[in-house]
Amino acid sequence: MGKSITLTDKRSGKVYTLEFNRKAIETMERQGFVPSEITDKPATMLPMLFRGAFIMHHPTVKRDVVDALYDAIPDKTTLIEKLVDMYSEPILSLIGDSEADEGNVEWGANF
Amino acid sequence: MGSELLIEEAPHTKTCTEQFYEVFPFYLSIGMTYDLFWLKDATLVKSFRKAYEMQRERANYDAWLQGAYIYDALCAVSPVLHAFAKKGTKPIPYPKEPYGMTTKNLKQSSEQPAKTEAELREIQALNASAKFASFVTQWNKRFENKGGGVDGGYNRSTTD
Repeated sequence: MGKSITLTDKRSGKVYTLEFNRKAIETMERQGFVPSEITDKPATMLPMLFRGAFIMHHPTVKRDVVDALYDAIPDKTTLIEKLVDMYSEPILSLIGDSEADEGNVEWGANF
Repeated sequence: MGSELLIEEAPHTKTCTEQFYEVFPFYLSIGMTYDLFWLKDATLVKSFRKAYEMQRERANYDAWLQGAYIYDALCAVSPVLHAFAKKGTKPIPYPKEPYGMTTKNLKQSSEQPAKTEAELREIQALNASAKFASFVTQWNKRFENKGGGVDGGYNRSTTD
């Protein structure tokens, strides 16, 4: 089961499911979304990331509706963290779990 | 030497879309449809990979099992394939049933006696006759090498 976020618009009562599939990622990249530019151009890339999360389940929703939702969302930092996590899922799922090499390499971090 | 990491040029970075298109044929080959890969749950690929692995393991086991049956069949006919097999030698009967695969089948096959007394005696007799034939051949060869004829020297001329 893929990761998803449920968004409820209290004004209209509509419930949106935010999720990424590969087609959504392809569409976003065609529209100019570059994940590595999130830190360089956050004002452009983050709303694009948010809009992209609607492509899978709500492709017909209007852009100004999505932008209004984005503006009204509280705790954007956590939401963006979750969106980035969700965005990377279709890519990471293609990387095999190398069970055969288990134990040959170890790693650790000091943070 | 040893400075590859310092002089290496920036590699061409692939976009996610490029990566998706690169692996897409593989997933098509293992039974994933266009819709499942592009439009549905992105984590489905993991299950498809796992299923593919299981399929390969099963195919490998089937090939091994076929080899085992062929081996059994060869062993069963080996008494009649022997060059010095006695007249009337019969092959050992091929197992009447396939190998048990489920736990129930395995239990049943372990409960059944592997071979009847008569079958065992027949096998022992066949083995003994094969051993004896081999011994006779070796003995004759040795005798020939020492100057004896094929007939054991019975027809040798008495004049010499």
